[in-house]
Amino acid sequence: MAIEQKFIELIHADIDGEIESSDRAELAALLESSPEARALHAELAALCSALGAVESLDPPPHLRHVIMNSVSKEPEEAPKPRLLNTLFAAPALRYAAVFAAGVFVTISIVNSGQISERAFDDMTPLVGTIADPVSARLESTVSVNETSVAGQVSLRSSGPLLILDFDLSSREPVDIEASYTDKTIWFNGFAQLESSGTSISAESGKVRLGMDGKRRYAVYLHNQGGRGMTVQLRFIARGEVVHETSLDYSPD
Amino acid sequence: MRGDRQSFEVLLLKYERPVFNAAYRMLNSRDDALDVTQTVFLKVFENFAQYDPQRRFFSWIYRITLNESINWIGRQKRLQPLAEETSEEAAGPEEEAQNAGIAKEVQVALMTLTEDYRTVIVLKHFLECSYSEISEVLGIPEKTVKSRLYTARQLMKDALGTRN
Repeated sequence: MAIEQKFIELIHADIDGEIESSDRAELAALLESSPEARALHAELAALCSALGAVESLDPPPHLRHVIMNSVSKEPEEAPKPRLLNTLFAAPALRYAAVFAAGVFVTISIVNSGQISERAFDDMTPLVGTIADPVSARLESTVSVNETSVAGQVSLRSSGPLLILDFDLSSREPVDIEASYTDKTIWFNGFAQLESSGTSISAESGKVRLGMDGKRRYAVYLHNQGGRGMTVQLRFIARGEVVHETSLDYSPD
Repeated sequence: MRGDRQSFEVLLLKYERPVFNAAYRMLNSRDDALDVTQTVFLKVFENFAQYDPQRRFFSWIYRITLNESINWIGRQKRLQPLAEETSEEAAGPEEEAQNAGIAKEVQVALMTLTEDYRTVIVLKHFLECSYSEISEVLGIPEKTVKSRLYTARQLMKDALGTRN
C-alpha cells in the first residue's frame, strides 16, 4: 500500500527532528499500523545515520595562512589561486611551469659555483615530481602549524635523488635550514611552483631557504650511496627558532 | 569589514571548516575545495559592504560557498570530466577504516546527484542546517526545500543501494 505524501513528509520531519508535536500521535499511529511506513522510516533513518557517520574533514593547516596572506597583500586583485589552479589543471602545463622555474633557478645556482656542473645533469626528468608526486616515492611527511609558518614538508625519493617538497605559507619572512650530517650527499638543485621570490643558499651538509607568503618549492639532494639519512629542519622567524622537526629516509 | 583583518580572521576561524567541508562534499576534491574556500573568503572580504546585516551571516557565506562550488563544477565540466577522488584515508583502528568506507560510499553516491539535490544534502547533513535555514541560504520556500530534500534522499538511497 502506497504511503500518502503527507505521511512521507511526517516521516522525514520526524527523522530530522522537525516534526510538530501535534503530528507526533498521528505518525505514531501510522507506524503502528503500516509496515510500509515502518520500512520507509527505517530506511531513511539508516541513510541519515550513514550521512551522520561521515566525519568532518580537517582543512590543511596552511589554508588559514594562505587566505590571510591573500587578504593582506592583494586585496584589490581577483583571487589568484583559482586562476593558477585552472591554468595548471593540466599536468603537462603544471610540469612545464615547474620545469621552467626549476631550470631557471638551478642554472643560477650552478653559475654561482656552489655546486658542480655535474649536479645539474639529472634534473630534467625529475623536476615535475613537485606537482606529480606519484613519480617519486613518499618517504616521510611532517606538518608545521606555527603562527608564523604553516604547511607541510615531505621527503620523496627517486633513484639516487632525494626531494624535499615544501608546501608552506608564512605570515612574515621565515628562514628554513635543512641540514644533513652525511657529507656525501650534495645539493642537486631547486625548483618552485606558483610562486617566486624564495631565496636559497647551499653549503656542505646544509641548505638555507628564505620565504615569505605562500610557497611551493622543492630542494633536490643527490644521495649517491643510497644510504639512510635524516634531514633536520629548523624554521626561523625574527631570528628565533619557531619550529624544529626532521624527515627520515630509509632505503629498502 | 574590508581592511579589518582582525574581524576577518575571527570569521575565518569560525567558518573555515564548514566552508571547506561543504566545498569538498560538492566537488569531491580536496584541492578544488581548497581553491573554492580561498575564493569564498576573499569574496567575503572584498564584498562585505554588500552583506545585509538583516540576514544571518552563515546564510550569506554558505550561499557564496555553494555558488562558487557550482560555478567550479561548471568550469570543470568544460575542461574535463569530474574526477572521482574520494581521498579520505583511514589508518589504524578498524572502526576508523569502516567509517572511511562509509564516507567513501556516501561521497560517491552524493556525486551521482545533480547540484540542486547535492546542495540540500550538504546543507542538511554536513552543515546541519534546519529546513528554515536551508530556505534562507538558497532563497527558496521551505516547502521546496522539503520536497527537494526528500527526492535527494531517495536518490541517495537508490545510489547507495545500487552500489551495495
